[in-house]
Amino acid sequence: MNQLECSRDEEDQEETECHQDNSDGINNNNNNNRRKTVCPGVGEHPLQYNYTFWYSRRTPSRPASSQSYEQNIRQIGSVASVEQFWRFYSHLVRPGDLSGHSDFHLFKEGIKPMWEDDSNRSGGKWIIRLRKGLASRFWENIILAMMGEQFMVGEEICGAVVSIRFQEDILSIWNRTSNDQTTTSRIRDTLRRVLNLPANTIMEYKTHNDSLRDNSSFRNTKISL
Amino acid sequence: MSTGTNEAKCCPIPTRVLTLNDWSQLPDCYSQTPGGTLFSTTPGGTRIIYDRKFLLDCRNSPLARTPPCCLPQIPGVTVPATHNMGKLQDLKEEVEEEEKDIADDNQFEMDI
Repeated sequence: MNQLECSRDEEDQEETECHQDNSDGINNNNNNNRRKTVCPGVGEHPLQYNYTFWYSRRTPSRPASSQSYEQNIRQIGSVASVEQFWRFYSHLVRPGDLSGHSDFHLFKEGIKPMWEDDSNRSGGKWIIRLRKGLASRFWENIILAMMGEQFMVGEEICGAVVSIRFQEDILSIWNRTSNDQTTTSRIRDTLRRVLNLPANTIMEYKTHNDSLRDNSSFRNTKISL
Repeated sequence: MSTGTNEAKCCPIPTRVLTLNDWSQLPDCYSQTPGGTLFSTTPGGTRIIYDRKFLLDCRNSPLARTPPCCLPQIPGVTVPATHNMGKLQDLKEEVEEEEKDIADDNQFEMDI
């Protein structure tokens, strides 16, 4: 667990120091390779897992590709407690106010929001399409449910994404094992319970392998009601 | 059903009855165990669980209000957009964000 790696004499500070690890010599563009251990501060409520905020943006004219995806996504910061989460979240624009083709990602620390990450290799995601105007509220509810461990699927949850697109917005929640039906059903049921979705909302599941194959996050999904 | 032992005091499980005329009246906490999840507790009780209400209440604490350290400057995301991005510009015009400790190498190249 991440929290065990923090040294005990840092408990006096509210925030621990950021550790920059450039020793492997890899070009540290966009801080994607920064290793940082965050701990809950004194008096704060720890989360079951540390989470990292990411942001990505693509100009629609540019075609999507694996390499450009990794360059267009960057970390914003990591949180280990409820209070740290609010600190970051309160200083981010709400997803409904993002412009262009943009995404916020909130993933467990150590898992990159990419299909190719080890934790995502055999995984998939539930997708919920929302009409304009709903993204901010549902994003907040889905991440609160995720961090509050409402999904009850062990280690399966990897992270959540809100994707702002031209005429609709899309909420996704990623899990490790796409063919684990018990897990995917439980996630779907929890989503229904915690999100209070509009009537007739369709939820779709897509494996990351399928996304990799058709190079698209949101097309050709399996519909589930 | 045993005989000869003291009977424990019984008290009914506290319940609350609501009459709804419409689905919109369904309370937010419907189907949730108070303070927890649908499953009440985890076997072994080691998982840290928070319900939505608790998390929202934490937002008001002083610990949750100070700006985070090392927040990167991304126009339109963490700081107001520097040029006109329509609705975002209007909303963010009044917001004052002062970032003190941001190093230049955190600048994010973006095509607008």
